[in-house]
Amino acid sequence: MRVEVDGAPVEVPEGATLLEAVRAAGARVPTLCFDERLAPFGACRVCLVGVEGQDKPVASCTTPCRDGMRIDTRDPAARRVAGAVVELVLSELPEPPAAHTELAAVARELGVGELRWTGRVHEKRHDMRHPYLALQNELCISCGRCVRICDEVQGAFALTATGRGFEANIAAGIDAGFRDSTCVSCGACADTCPTDAITELSLLALAGTTTEEAQA
Amino acid sequence: MSTERFDSTITTTCGYCGVGCRLDAHAVAGRIASISPALDGPANRGHACVKGRFAHQFSRSRERLTAPLVREGGSFRIATWEEALDRVASGLRRIRDEHGPDAIAGLASSRATNEDCWVMQRLMRAAIGTNNIDNCSRVCHSPTSYALRRSFGMSGATGSFDDIDAAGAAIIIGANPTQAHPVVGARIKQAALRGLRLVTIDPRRIELADHAVVHLSARAGTNAAVMLGLAHVVARDGLLDRDFMDARTEGWDRVEELLEAYEPSEVERITGVPAGDLELAAHVYGEASTASIFWGLGVTEHRYGSEVVQLLANLALMTGNVGRPGSALLPLRGQNNVQGSSDIGALPDTYSGYRAVGDEATARAFEERWGVPLSREKGMTIPQMFDAAIAGDLRAMFIMGEDVAQTDPDSAHVARAMESLELLVCQDIFENETTRFADVILPASAFLEKEGTFINAERRIQHVQPAISPPGGARTDFDIITTLSRMLGHEMGLDTPADAMADIAALTPEFAGVTFERLGRRGLQWPVSPDGVDSPILFEHEFALPGGRGHFAALPYKPSNEEPDEELPLILVTGRRLEHYNAGTMTRRTRNLDLMPTDWLEIHPDDAAAAGIADGELVEVRSRVGRIEIEARLTERIEPGHVFTAFHFPEIRTNLLVGAEMDINTSCPQYKVVAVAVSPLGRPVAAAAPAVLAEA
Repeated sequence: MRVEVDGAPVEVPEGATLLEAVRAAGARVPTLCFDERLAPFGACRVCLVGVEGQDKPVASCTTPCRDGMRIDTRDPAARRVAGAVVELVLSELPEPPAAHTELAAVARELGVGELRWTGRVHEKRHDMRHPYLALQNELCISCGRCVRICDEVQGAFALTATGRGFEANIAAGIDAGFRDSTCVSCGACADTCPTDAITELSLLALAGTTTEEAQA
Repeated sequence: MSTERFDSTITTTCGYCGVGCRLDAHAVAGRIASISPALDGPANRGHACVKGRFAHQFSRSRERLTAPLVREGGSFRIATWEEALDRVASGLRRIRDEHGPDAIAGLASSRATNEDCWVMQRLMRAAIGTNNIDNCSRVCHSPTSYALRRSFGMSGATGSFDDIDAAGAAIIIGANPTQAHPVVGARIKQAALRGLRLVTIDPRRIELADHAVVHLSARAGTNAAVMLGLAHVVARDGLLDRDFMDARTEGWDRVEELLEAYEPSEVERITGVPAGDLELAAHVYGEASTASIFWGLGVTEHRYGSEVVQLLANLALMTGNVGRPGSALLPLRGQNNVQGSSDIGALPDTYSGYRAVGDEATARAFEERWGVPLSREKGMTIPQMFDAAIAGDLRAMFIMGEDVAQTDPDSAHVARAMESLELLVCQDIFENETTRFADVILPASAFLEKEGTFINAERRIQHVQPAISPPGGARTDFDIITTLSRMLGHEMGLDTPADAMADIAALTPEFAGVTFERLGRRGLQWPVSPDGVDSPILFEHEFALPGGRGHFAALPYKPSNEEPDEELPLILVTGRRLEHYNAGTMTRRTRNLDLMPTDWLEIHPDDAAAAGIADGELVEVRSRVGRIEIEARLTERIEPGHVFTAFHFPEIRTNLLVGAEMDINTSCPQYKVVAVAVSPLGRPVAAAAPAVLAEA
């Protein structure tokens, strides 16, 4: 199959997604809920692109290519919506994400600066009982990556999505913490988390954001 | 993972199990700050486990050996490298002159790199003049190596871990991948969730049994009967691949005759596996268009372990399930470089590529390149070394990276052997049970501190690169051994591990095209032709035996001679747990100890009731050769009549219980069948062993 990305032709195999075509063409589109180890999820709307002949932008990670499709990664509507999505996500955090996180990188890429919306932010809630894994619930943006990698790669089914709307978050087990869940301490959740909501205790110390609990 | 936070990030290969995960090691201020899985790792594909990912703090433990130690009277004192190496060289020289080269033996390590093992075997063969060189694969997969050479002609997995995804069915026997090979365990589990039809065979109901079509709880020591029973049903019910058998195999007639006796009802009598389950399992494997077999030490560490591997190969030959994507035989290797340490010839009977030391042409090629005469006599295996030490025939041992006093069977016998030696040199990263007997202890390097290659369970040669430096005065194993060889008068002329790989490639047809540059990020699966083309699948068109045919083996079931009796009514099976690794030298010096602070004995509630044992009670476990004390925990996941524990904790000393019984062909110890009695001690379990975590 042949598609066009920003005017450049690219060959893709049958079943390829728009995101795969974009990457094959050497172009870029930011992503947030995407992880190449996982089945596409299409939840965050950050990877939106324009497609010729369609009036609304589409999520590139879940949309399959069709022969002759013309993809525009610079589609103004797509960029505007993606920026707004990230801005909304950031507005719920009590503090900006650490500079090294994927979320911070995506915000930089989309040019999200001063937040236009202010309102309720998540309350700090930390679980540092595991010897390696730190859970910082206030940084969770409900992208589902940790839950999915635990299910789709490790198969431990230790993490669950909890709550709805503003209260949406994640929990190990039935809010029992990693140690009392079916967690096997593989660390895949920390590896994929784009915000440090789950991260390594030792890296928290490195970032200088060590909490007293982290030392405990 | 974004890497700007770190001073350096190096992609290397995990030093724990034989899966061979590729890892990104991130360092800050000379220490490992974090490890994350490499997304393009062929075996791990962006995943890792609690050991590979987190258990790295041991590398800067305060207990690391950072200076050579020499024995003075009853204790050790710090010495300079010059003094320590001089003591080793002069001791080895004196013993060789007085008693001949065969009074000296060396152990390479399946934890070390191929290049470390290569120079170690060259030290023994060329600098000392003996074939007394072995490695710890002796005590795990030597039966696999022996059997695959017999059946197919090469000693390695016939395929790759990617065959998990291409297989329609798979048998897992004598392995517990989700604990011992967690990343492959996760890959198998995901495949099962997607529809891979699994058969699990083990006296324990392993986690993957919950995802299997059928689980066969065979009595420990009866694997051969199970395999013969499966073959019986496959043959009886017309599931044979006649075309494949006619074109590519020989020896079927005798097997066909032999199989008649193994009717499912008879196999049920021997193994305890219900006949119906056996029939179902045979159909799951035999009816699939692609089917693979995975096995671990639960197959090999038996009196007839090597024969059972030959029986696994029979089943694959009967159904044509070898040499195709999805149809692979994949031994799950316990250590990072079990495959490589043997491939490169750290063995008493073979040079690299499993060529006999008595083979004149091979020996001449080595003599020509190394410029020294070489012995044509087979050397001693590890168990033979211990016996020879006690008998006074073996006087010196050089042990690199193995804690034989904790991990080899019959620990009391091993201790006696160590005490009998005139000179014991240990080269390691920590003091351990074996170094207590040493005369000289040389501080070496962990996998995070050295360059070289490991070969994983799918024959993949992968690059290992240093992420940090060795601590203090510790040196790389490669540097120590090449220096010592020079002092003994054999200049190897190998300045770097890359030079050693060139030496290996020049002398080993299977490695002919291997260079560090060519390995790249994905490694190469041997054999590698001179132009660098590798071999993900073996035996696609022919086997590596005369005539190109695979060999059926007509081997009947024979009972183990370690049968339970009235006095010792239970069978002890030993194995591994997720959080720890082998002797525990590394994982017990990390926070994995918080996750699992001590070990326990798994016992079925029926057996516990019969012995009057309550859950959590301290018990005595007694075998014919030893006794230990351990906490008992009741579980229905173990077949009645069996108990299970690991060997990660020196304070428990599980291997005191294991006797001298071994595989008839390879002298691999029978760790998996030990008749024991378990009785309550009427004392509470002492407070958990102090979870001392030596963090620098």
